[in-house]
Amino acid sequence: MSHEPARRLLARRLIVVTGKGGTGKTTVATSLALGGARAGQRVLLVEVGRDEQCPRLLGSDSQPVGYAGRVVSTGITCMKIDPFEALTEYLGIQLGVTSVVRTVVENTAFRQMMNAAPGWRALITLGKIWHLEQMTDTDGRPLHDLIVVDAPATGHGVTFLDAPRVAVAAVRAGPLRRNAERVEALIRDPERCVLLPVALAEELPVMETAELVSRLTEQTGVCIDRVVVNRVSPDPLPSGISELEDHLRRIEPPPDACFPDPRILADCAKWATSRHALNQHHLAAIRRRTGLPIVPLPQLSGGAGRIQDLERLIEPLTGIET
Amino acid sequence: MTRDEFFQKTLGEARIAVCVGCGGVGKTTVSAALGLAAARRGRNTLILTIDPARRLADSLGIGELGNQPRPIPSSALSQFGVPPNVKLSAMMLDMKRTFDDLITRFASSPEARDRILSNTLYQHASETLAGSVEYSAMEKVYELYEGGEFDLIVLDTPPSQHALDFLEAPQRLVDFLDSRIIRLLVHPALSAGRIGLRLFQRGAQRALQTIERVTGLGFLEDVSEFLLAFEGMSGDFRKRAQRVESLLTGPEASFVLVTGPAEDSVAQSVQFLDRLENFRVPLHGILVNRIHDWPGSSNALPTVLEETPLALEQLTAALAHGAGADFPAEEAARAAFGVAKRYAEIVRRDEASTSVLRKRTEEIGRYWGRIPEFAADVHNLAGLAQVADRMVLPEENRGAPTPHRPGEEPDA
Repeated sequence: MSHEPARRLLARRLIVVTGKGGTGKTTVATSLALGGARAGQRVLLVEVGRDEQCPRLLGSDSQPVGYAGRVVSTGITCMKIDPFEALTEYLGIQLGVTSVVRTVVENTAFRQMMNAAPGWRALITLGKIWHLEQMTDTDGRPLHDLIVVDAPATGHGVTFLDAPRVAVAAVRAGPLRRNAERVEALIRDPERCVLLPVALAEELPVMETAELVSRLTEQTGVCIDRVVVNRVSPDPLPSGISELEDHLRRIEPPPDACFPDPRILADCAKWATSRHALNQHHLAAIRRRTGLPIVPLPQLSGGAGRIQDLERLIEPLTGIET
Repeated sequence: MTRDEFFQKTLGEARIAVCVGCGGVGKTTVSAALGLAAARRGRNTLILTIDPARRLADSLGIGELGNQPRPIPSSALSQFGVPPNVKLSAMMLDMKRTFDDLITRFASSPEARDRILSNTLYQHASETLAGSVEYSAMEKVYELYEGGEFDLIVLDTPPSQHALDFLEAPQRLVDFLDSRIIRLLVHPALSAGRIGLRLFQRGAQRALQTIERVTGLGFLEDVSEFLLAFEGMSGDFRKRAQRVESLLTGPEASFVLVTGPAEDSVAQSVQFLDRLENFRVPLHGILVNRIHDWPGSSNALPTVLEETPLALEQLTAALAHGAGADFPAEEAARAAFGVAKRYAEIVRRDEASTSVLRKRTEEIGRYWGRIPEFAADVHNLAGLAQVADRMVLPEENRGAPTPHRPGEEPDA
């Protein structure tokens, strides 16, 4: 890495993790939450999508954590923000009459309209996150030292964070505008909030991440100070052995050979070296195109199915020893 | 369904081939390769994508994709087996413009059109209006189909978290335009006198008052103006949507589910198959893209890779033979075993993650096809041609010295 990022990642109150589908942003978000918890922080891990994945990664049973949330691992509370739940809560706070609000929100026609209406999901979800960020315990300290949000995939991600700005532009006055302004202020505050893009060292994710970084910085003013590149393949060959493939192709196996077909070994060597070279090429491209420090994460050999696997990502992600 | 039957249906007979699948599986590349394969069969083909990345334009060798079909020079195509009189074109869907065109076409009057197009909400929201992107894509396909210029249109559907989104979205849009709340706003008089609706209206009024109190002045005005402007559109919209739907569920369409070996793509694809009956779309096959094949033959599982002391010793000796005296043969032998074991692990992992989907696909009699992971990105027509070969040709006809090598560069 050419230079250290300006601030430690875990010093932020709010980390919004985003990335193209399939980049492993949920894995990264969950590892960050684990890192925070290991460092003694009270962590809230928020999911925004349709399915709950984080609790499962943390080894929790299949019982959903839902909007109310639940502690699923030492120091980590998981929750899923459903926009309709958030809307009910918000209207309840605004109007003070929960029963009326329930009737309204559960009205079929109202649902139908809201199902199709644009923009409000992101706004209400971010409003809820703002509210969570403001919450304090009885001693007046923040209730959550760290809030990690597993945000919608790139593309949707731009729309997601841009919602408050659009709302401020579209709504002239009133509580909705005030709320949008508060959320916007949180997003634009580099001391409190950072966006963490997750990419892969592959062509399309690199291009999309570069685009995401410039669009989000321009449109929303959110702080982006590093890019995580997930599943970087290690250098397959020890130093001093280049052209392993060629050496393998030249082999004439003895008649009693008990090692595998050298052509197969050569194919595998070629795969590993070209894959690594391609990875390095794309790493250089994303560094050049974003101008940001890159945080490379290793490929986990067995996937990211267990807590121990996630723990291996904490150190490279945050610099905390585990 | 066999390989030949599947590709005969999808590339040889269909007028519309729809590639669905979740994001990140290489749907755009597969769509382009399908388009090329169809052109090779002599069909005038259009690849319609919504992917704003320049990569497709680059790999097809055309400067830029626009909202109009752009033909790929036949000089470039002929070397990849496309007959000289056959056209292959590509275009990128400009969603905002397609939706604007739609409003222009269906608005009840020029005034209504201008009211919609200049509405603050519409300007901010038309791209995020539920289903509008997906609807626009279908709408464009229908328009091009009616135009008759192409024998086949390959549609690369919008990237969504869930493959099902594409099929559900247009209905959501029609529901929205048809919803009672809009009808109440537009024609409150129509619903008077019917008890059920009156009761509902009270609920709706309360809902609207609630929104007004919370959102503040002006917002609701914009909303109702936006909705009012759609007056008269919803009927035509629905008729149009029904025609689009019958095209997509009829014999002229073929759906291809593109997936990858990652667990979440597989899980979503299984979910897609589970709910397939609800949508009645003619899904004939599943293509699993970027799956790792063991060298020698696709579908073969890794051969035994036991790093016994004898095997290591023999490989070391074989590597040392013919290499310089300073060549670290033992280290090289260990490295060779190392990379082979890693690759074998990935092949087994892909096999394990996809097997449930493969079984399910075979159970319901659909075609299951593999497109192997290439070591390099697909950058040009030669790369696409190679992907097309891997998809369409049976293993023995691919003409490569070995049936498959994982390190092979698609754009060699």
